[in-house]
Amino acid sequence: MAQNHHRGCHRRNHQETVGETEEKRSKFFINDHADILIEILKRLDGRSLCVAASVCRLWCAIARNNSLWENLCFRNVSPPTSSVRSVVLALGGYKRLYVGCVRPVRSLLGRVRRASMARDEVQLSLSLFCVDYYERLGGRNSNGRLVGESSPSSLMFLCKPVNV
Amino acid sequence: MKRDHQDICGADGGGYGNSSGSKGESSITSKGKLWEEDQDAGDMDELMAVLGYKVRSSDMADVAQKMEQLDMAMGTAQEDGISHLAYDTVHYNPSDLSSWVQSMLTELNNPVLPNSDSNSSKPQQHQQIVSSNQSQVYNDDSEYDLRAIPGIAAYPQPKRIKTSMETDSSSSTTEPSTQPVVLVDSQEAGVRLVHTLMACAEAVQQENLKLADALVKHIGLLAASQAGAMRKVATYFAEALARRIYGVYPQDSLHPSYTDMLQMHFYETCPYLKFAHFTSNQAILEAFATSNRVHVIDFGLKQGMQWPALMQELALRPGGPPVFRLTGIGPHQPDNTDALQQVGCKLAYLAETIGVKFEFRGFMVNSLADLEPKMLDIRPPEVETLAVNSIFELHRLLARAGGIEKVLSSIKTMKPKILTIVEEEANHNSPVFVDRFTEALHYYSSLFDSLEVSGVVPPSSQDLVMSESYLGRQICNVVACEGVERVERHETLAQWRSRMKTSGFSPAHLGSNAYKQASMLLALFAGGDGYRVEENDGCLTLGWHTRPLIATSAWQVAATE
Repeated sequence: MAQNHHRGCHRRNHQETVGETEEKRSKFFINDHADILIEILKRLDGRSLCVAASVCRLWCAIARNNSLWENLCFRNVSPPTSSVRSVVLALGGYKRLYVGCVRPVRSLLGRVRRASMARDEVQLSLSLFCVDYYERLGGRNSNGRLVGESSPSSLMFLCKPVNV
Repeated sequence: MKRDHQDICGADGGGYGNSSGSKGESSITSKGKLWEEDQDAGDMDELMAVLGYKVRSSDMADVAQKMEQLDMAMGTAQEDGISHLAYDTVHYNPSDLSSWVQSMLTELNNPVLPNSDSNSSKPQQHQQIVSSNQSQVYNDDSEYDLRAIPGIAAYPQPKRIKTSMETDSSSSTTEPSTQPVVLVDSQEAGVRLVHTLMACAEAVQQENLKLADALVKHIGLLAASQAGAMRKVATYFAEALARRIYGVYPQDSLHPSYTDMLQMHFYETCPYLKFAHFTSNQAILEAFATSNRVHVIDFGLKQGMQWPALMQELALRPGGPPVFRLTGIGPHQPDNTDALQQVGCKLAYLAETIGVKFEFRGFMVNSLADLEPKMLDIRPPEVETLAVNSIFELHRLLARAGGIEKVLSSIKTMKPKILTIVEEEANHNSPVFVDRFTEALHYYSSLFDSLEVSGVVPPSSQDLVMSESYLGRQICNVVACEGVERVERHETLAQWRSRMKTSGFSPAHLGSNAYKQASMLLALFAGGDGYRVEENDGCLTLGWHTRPLIATSAWQVAATE
């Protein structure tokens, strides 16, 4: 992606020096085509997506797009229903679901994974995600206002343990 | 074969041990048969003979022990001039292992060295270690003989030698030098610790409180020499025994929010509660499959950690979520705060976030037996499907006569579609104190072992300590309390099964979904290899290695003719 950007610049410079023969060639600048950019970014893995988010402001804004992270969560699994989407968005969004639950669950289960388990992994991640949201709520009074502290530690066990 | 090879290569300090090992190996490849022919008729150990050593079978144990001593001696005095053993000493007939080892040991004890003055004290100490270890190994004192126990506990010979060795040798050799001594000592002390605990329990049962008191003090001493789970378990059991002996029964006067907090830390650190919640939820979900209005009665709401996951699954059900009503039961709060209502509000907030219609009611009772079905606003089964859920609550009812029968008959009148029960898989309700004590010791040892391994990152010792404290209070109750105070009356799955069947319930099998989800959940925990999910005739148990620790079962009201 970054290379495309560069090539675009070079081509422009080259055009300025070469002259009229190059004027007819159309300039392609990936940042002008956000939908193509999204299609490309959709195919990245989590780590590359985070790296892509550091390229420029536009890419950062695009990489925050929930549909990208939704694709990551539901890779190898049939696409989610709209009810799933609304629940996940209400609980904090797909990026949070992926980084907090789906990725650690997948990596921890990696050695025993079978293809059929992909759907169950996502379901388990969703449940853990919901439990975590509940814990982060802290105390609420009857108006729904925050009154007590929250103790966000339910997902701690998903962190890789230190080998003693 | 492997064992013998290790024995031979055990003498690692000098160069000789290794070379003799390799010599043995070459003799296997080229002249194996030849050596065998040299054996006396049936007297020599065959395996050793193949390697090139002649050792009488009857001498094997003795030789092994001497090799160990030699290994220790060489290991400890590595830097201090026993290199002469490798180069200067003449070794006579090394294939006769027992006499060779003996000669090496005597060499060590009476070394002929130019600078022997500073080192001569060491071999004498080694000899002393040897003799004290021997006396520890062969000293067979009965655990009921009180005189014998102070003898060992007050005779910390290895420890004293350890400190003097530290002052003699340089610091770099302290670590390897003290290791072999400590290992033997702590293993021995571990066995002694268990024996002393059992002896103390026996004494308490026989009302011999003077003996029990003395033994309890020794448990403290012995526990200090252990590490990790064993030490913690022993400390809790010792404290509980002491309370029983002195009659200082712990009141259950701790604020319920404190015990809730302890349970929260237990929830974080290990999978037992999560397993209980997920497996029960799976059974409840399957029972709720086609209903539009559902009602759950939770016999122990605590912080409500079980219900977010259920609500999420209900929200994502194909066909949309049902109307979800939750009735939470909890104990009275000493300061009149409405803890149940606070939890209810939190759950209501979550329900609104994920789009589930939610109603909550809380009931504070001192005992489940005080509940009356008409208080709970049960609606007819055609209108609303009911599930009753009890996680580690039913065993408390066994403390009072008639308690459990009343509750089970109340449940039957409520006509639930499913009743989910999670209980500890152990018999801590035997009328015989020693049986109860032994069972509890084994059970909590396994539990503490599993806690030790599933360390959370960052290593939060606070979580671990809180979880252990949570379990420690249970230990205290099982051992120190009696009568209605003793509420931790755990019973095994088999016992619960027969009780449920005679009360008019039939089992509902937990499906493979529950098993799959539980296995996946456990694989996420550190120490996941140690945890075992097992299916037991329709019920699921979670255990540590070979020992099942908690069991989930599901029940429905038996159809009457």
